[in-house]
Amino acid sequence: MAEPELLLDSNIRLWVVLPIVFITFLVGVIRHYVSILLQSDKKLTLEQVSDSQVLIRSRILRENGKYIPKQSFLMRKFYFNNQEDGFLKNTKRKVVPPSPMTDPSMLTDMMKGNVTNVLPMILIGGWINWTFSGFVTTKVPFPLTLRFKPMLQQGIELLSLDASWVSSASWYFLNVFGLRSMYSLILGQDNGADQSRIMQEQMSGAAMAMPADTNKAFKAEWEALELTDHQWALENIEEELMSRELDLDGMFSQELPTGIF
Amino acid sequence: LNVLIIVFTEMRDKLRKWREDNHRNSEQIVDVGEELINEHASKLGDDIWIIYEQVMIAALDCSRDDLAWTCLQELKRQFPGSQRVKRLAGMRLEALEKYEDASKQYDSILQDDPTNTAARKRKISILKAQGKSAEAIRELNEYLEQFVGDQEAWHELSELYINEHDYGKAAFCLEELMMTNPHNHLYCEQYAEVKYTQGGLENLELSRKYFAQALKLNNRNMRALFGLYMSASHIAASPKVNATVKKANVKYATWATNQINRAYQVSYARCLL
Repeated sequence: MAEPELLLDSNIRLWVVLPIVFITFLVGVIRHYVSILLQSDKKLTLEQVSDSQVLIRSRILRENGKYIPKQSFLMRKFYFNNQEDGFLKNTKRKVVPPSPMTDPSMLTDMMKGNVTNVLPMILIGGWINWTFSGFVTTKVPFPLTLRFKPMLQQGIELLSLDASWVSSASWYFLNVFGLRSMYSLILGQDNGADQSRIMQEQMSGAAMAMPADTNKAFKAEWEALELTDHQWALENIEEELMSRELDLDGMFSQELPTGIF
Repeated sequence: LNVLIIVFTEMRDKLRKWREDNHRNSEQIVDVGEELINEHASKLGDDIWIIYEQVMIAALDCSRDDLAWTCLQELKRQFPGSQRVKRLAGMRLEALEKYEDASKQYDSILQDDPTNTAARKRKISILKAQGKSAEAIRELNEYLEQFVGDQEAWHELSELYINEHDYGKAAFCLEELMMTNPHNHLYCEQYAEVKYTQGGLENLELSRKYFAQALKLNNRNMRALFGLYMSASHIAASPKVNATVKKANVKYATWATNQINRAYQVSYARCLL
């Protein structure tokens, strides 16, 4: 039997739900611009640039090697993968794990990251909790167990209230995560307001784990290249080309540009 | 005399289009850009700096040192420590043939930032301008060892090798370009031409195949069509081939001839219109 539906005052919708959405959104936008201002230049060493380009070249060789003659492909594959002096096999880079203590720039980066992201979230979450407390804000569309009650119903002391009815603080957190796609729409990809992405980055290890990665990346490329075979795309090119007449439409039709405009 | 009232926005958009498409129509850029800078500087806003850069490079091309100097001064005033501006100053010295000074300028950029590719490439072009092709080739090779992905550099190197008649190495460079740009018919065509120049049965076969590829990518590439005809007939005329290969190549050459005739008819029809 469905429990009795609560009817919320429509003022709540007007003065609580919408303002929280606006606040979250605007704070996100401000965070994005602040992060741009505070961004420190990441200096790349010559070696890092060079290595990343080598990796790209190896990948291109794997993907588009079929457009060059077999001999040339084998020559390049040999250069990369040869047992004795293949580049991918033998080049070892010094691995310096970038821990926050040893690398001062990492430390400042982390601090800036924390300040711009975590701090506002805590502050505003707390302020919303304090301002909009004591009433139910909205209902989540799916049923929740009673365990969620203390988390989602901060400030509402009703034991019998369904856990689906949540307070404004939880509505705020819902917004923080939900507006992520809105930020991508408006601020473009890779924007500074994208909190969950930043948290993911922090969780998956050091933000710029380049050094250790290079060795692993080389190894991965070596394996992939070993497996690649050469299927020449031009094997039957003449037959393909001459199976039909050439499309000469629009040939000789462009007038030579004269004058400025 | 047609006196047209050119709207300022039109001029600015033209410049932007030329900038994005990397056109080297320096005289036009100087004409349009000079007027834009002199008459409409205030309306340009922040665009003006990139226009200064564009006009300066065009002015160097047209030997307009006065205009280049003005642009450079404005840029220096706005961006005092900038490496990009330093590079422009170096380019101006190059245009005045003060190669030693230009080289020193680029060296100072590289001291601050060893990864600056623009400065390194300018140094190589100085060598090229002085006619020291062997050194230029050597420097460019070293550059490419570090920056394997720089396509502009690969193309430049292939040109240098062709000038030195080192077709094998030129072919290697063009192969890099073909791999990174598999849909660009011009690289295929250039590669085929190099192979054709190298000569020998195997290379002729390769060149025929790559002319065909260029045609497949762009049906209207006349040069590739002629190349296809030439390589096919060359192979067919060679005494070393067996009968089947000869027959196949004669077939290819005939097909190419038909297409060439069709193309001439199209152009003739155009002329009549």
